[in-house]
Order: sequence, then C-alpha cells, then structure tokens
Amino acid sequence: MLFNLREKLNSSKFLVTAEVSPPRGTKFSVPLEDARQLKGIADAINVTDNQCSIMHMSSLAFSKLLLDEGHEPIMQLTCRDRNRIGLQSDLLGAYALGIRNICVMTGDFPSCGDHPGSKPVYDLDSVQLMQLVRKLDSGINFAGNNLDGGTSFCAGAVSGIDPEKPLQLIKLEKKVRCGADFIQTQAVYDVGMFEEFMEATSHLEVPVIAGLIPLKSLGMAEFMNKNISGIHVPEEIMFRIKDSPDPVEEGLSIASETIKELMKLSRGVHIMPVGSHKNTPRLLSMAGISGK
Amino acid sequence: MIITSAKPLEEILTLLKDEDDIFIIGCNVCAAKLKTGGEPEVLEMIRQLEKNRKHVVGWALPTAACSVRSFDSLVQKNEKINEARCILVMGCGSGVSTVASVTEVPVFGSNDTLSLGGSSEGKLLSDQCIMCGKCTIGEFGGICPKSRCPKGLLNGPCGGAIDGMCEVNRENDCVWTLIYNRLNKIKRLDLLYTVHAPQEHRID
Repeated sequence: MLFNLREKLNSSKFLVTAEVSPPRGTKFSVPLEDARQLKGIADAINVTDNQCSIMHMSSLAFSKLLLDEGHEPIMQLTCRDRNRIGLQSDLLGAYALGIRNICVMTGDFPSCGDHPGSKPVYDLDSVQLMQLVRKLDSGINFAGNNLDGGTSFCAGAVSGIDPEKPLQLIKLEKKVRCGADFIQTQAVYDVGMFEEFMEATSHLEVPVIAGLIPLKSLGMAEFMNKNISGIHVPEEIMFRIKDSPDPVEEGLSIASETIKELMKLSRGVHIMPVGSHKNTPRLLSMAGISGK
Repeated sequence: MIITSAKPLEEILTLLKDEDDIFIIGCNVCAAKLKTGGEPEVLEMIRQLEKNRKHVVGWALPTAACSVRSFDSLVQKNEKINEARCILVMGCGSGVSTVASVTEVPVFGSNDTLSLGGSSEGKLLSDQCIMCGKCTIGEFGGICPKSRCPKGLLNGPCGGAIDGMCEVNRENDCVWTLIYNRLNKIKRLDLLYTVHAPQEHRID
C-alpha cells in the first residue's frame, strides 16, 4: 500500500490531485468539509497560497489542518509575499509540522487581488525557490549555513502547456534541472495541444500531472479563453457546452472524457473546480477512477 | 533620464498651505525635457501660486537640480533665495534632496518621480533601469527584466502573460517576449538557459 505522494509518484498509479483553498477567516470547517469529499479518491490535495492575490488563511496552517484529518497535503508556495528569509522559515516550519509536499510558483501580482497596494516581494523567482528548497534538503540554508535538521521535500512546480511558447518550455526545463519532482499544469481542454506539450518536454523525464477545470457554462469558457493565460478551450468544446440543456453536466462529461485521454499521456490529473468539490467524486467515477 | 510627472496643482497647494515666500528651483535637464520643471513650467507655476495668493520671492534654473555646488551657488543665480521661507523644487526626488542638503528652509517637490528611463524616436521609455548596482543587462540582450518585468523575474516569464502582453498591465508587452525576440535576433537564445541567482540587496 502506498502512502505518500513521493511513493505514489514512483509507482505506476495514475494520480489524482485536487485543489482546495483555505478560508478567508479563522473558521475552517467549510473547506475542511470540502476536502473530506476527496478522501479515498485524491492522492494529494494542493492548498493554495493566497490565490489570485486574495488574502486567505496561510497555506501552511491549512495544510496542517488537512494533515491532522489524514489527508496528504501539497502546500503551495508563491514568491509574492515573502523574501528568502520568510520562505525558508515557513518551509522549515511546514516540515517540522509534518508537511512533506510543496508546489512552488511565482504568484499573481498583488494588483490582481484584494490588497492591490501591497508591496510585491519576488525576492526569488520560482526557479530560484526550487533551488532554495533543494538547499534546505541538503541540510544547509540559502546563505550556506548548516541547519539544525534539514528537510526532505517532495517539491513540484507548475507549467503552462502551450508547446508554441518556447520561453515557458525553457523555464520548465530550468525548474526540472533545479530539482522539481513533479509538474502540475494549467488546465487542459485541448488534448492534442497537451500531447504536443508532452512530446516537446519528454526529454525532461519529470512526472506531469495535467490540470483540469470542469466547465460550468459557456460564459466561463469564454472568460477563461479571454482572460486566463495558457488556457485554450477549443471551439468544439464551446459548441458542446453551448448546445447542452445542462452545461454543468456537459462540463463533467467533457472533463471525464479528457481524463480518459490524459490517462494515456500524463502521470495524473489535478482537479481545480471553480467552487466546491461537490462533483469531483462523480467526475472521477465517470472517468473510471474509483478510489485508491 | 529621470522620468517625472507633475503633481496636480491642488496637491502642491496642499503641500504649501502653511508656507509662503516661496522660491522655485527648476531643473534644466530631465525635468525640462519632460516639461515638468523647465523655464516655461517654472513661470507657469509662479502664475498659479500667485493666483492662489502665495508670494513667490524668485526662481532659479540650475543646469541640474541634482547637481548644486552649494547654497552660495544658488545665491549667485538669484539672491532672492535669501528671502525664501520655503523652496519648491521642480525636479526629481534626487533634485529635491540635493537642494534640501544645501538649504535651511523647508523644501518641497512639485513632481512625482517615476523611473529611470530614456527617450528614443520621439517616444518616452520608462523603467529602463532600477539602478540595482549589479548590472547583468547584457545577459538579457540589453533589456533589463529587473526593471521592466513588474515581478523582476530573472529566469523567464511568469504564467500570467496573455498574447505576449503583461499580466500586470495589459497595455505593456511582456518584457520576456521582448527579451526572447531580441536574443533570437542576435542569435543568443542560448542565454535563456542560464539559471540566474537572485538579485543581492545587500548594502555594501
């Protein structure tokens, strides 16, 4: 029986990860209840780090709450809010509390969120943060001093999936060279495009977990095509949503078909629904995934 | 060139609400070029302040407000500065600081200082350099990501750009696209594979 994410990444199991957001206050029962729906079906749960630059409870604290409930959290860590001192001290704290998986990313600019005037930090970028994690793993801090107890993180990073964007592919290569154990991607709607992306990055030999956001309406698809970087909902999927009397159900059908295709191409899927995970268990069973 | 923009008159009047007998110092370099502190702007400021019942004792236009030898050198330009109970500098923040360092009366600035930029082909170029003290611009084809990427990312773009436009300001090109195009043109795309260490902010 496999327990943690690292063991699962080393296995041949098709992985399911899912994204949960910490609360915007101190009451945490609602997101915890949401995470409970993933028990037995998600191999690990990503905890977002003030996503969209909107202030939430820390990913560290909520990851610990998930851990206490028996989940396998992946603590997301952005470069936006902390300098190298803050990032390291949170990583040490997370490790001491039992958090073993992290996923590093640049982070949206503060102007996108609810505190648009806050100071953007970006002391490190996501490549440098990956290097920092590996330093802590080797028992030394970023300044080169010995730690009184190091870390051993299973550390991932994120990527877009457009094979036509060489800069993104080069940055992905740098993240892998700096030690990324896995990659979670932007949402996939165009499986053909994802297949090309996988071909373009096959030399990196890193497990890729494909992102998935089930569509709920035509408006949502149009919004994402226009406003979310790296998302491309193909016309054919737009028509299916548009023509359906029940767009939510159709969105789940499309997502389950996408998962079936992705099973041939990626190491897993990463489900990031807009709203709750109410439909996630059903989506996975539609895709033929019934649990651990 | 230091890029400045003129503060609205109401803001300047608020700054000067308890002040009078004002001496104005313009700047004949960057601010003159940007029309935020050259002679016409200084004269217009005098008109506006007097219209709002402020007494302006005089004005001077040193070559650069940021390069003032001494208080005496200002007196030589216009001895009326001796009567000033307040000085308004129409230059950048550095000009205001320099004038404050040689004078004994309250000093105010009429501009907001935006960035170190330049101008070329009739266009104003903002945020060309952040004066980090550790220049590596050559590794990016002569386009500095520290100044022109709002996140200062050194190892490639974030995931936020749409159609080559910046996540933070959709009117601006993502500087990483510009860097890519430039390195492609000079056949140095190999530079994109360098893993850059973070910027050091140590004060030596």
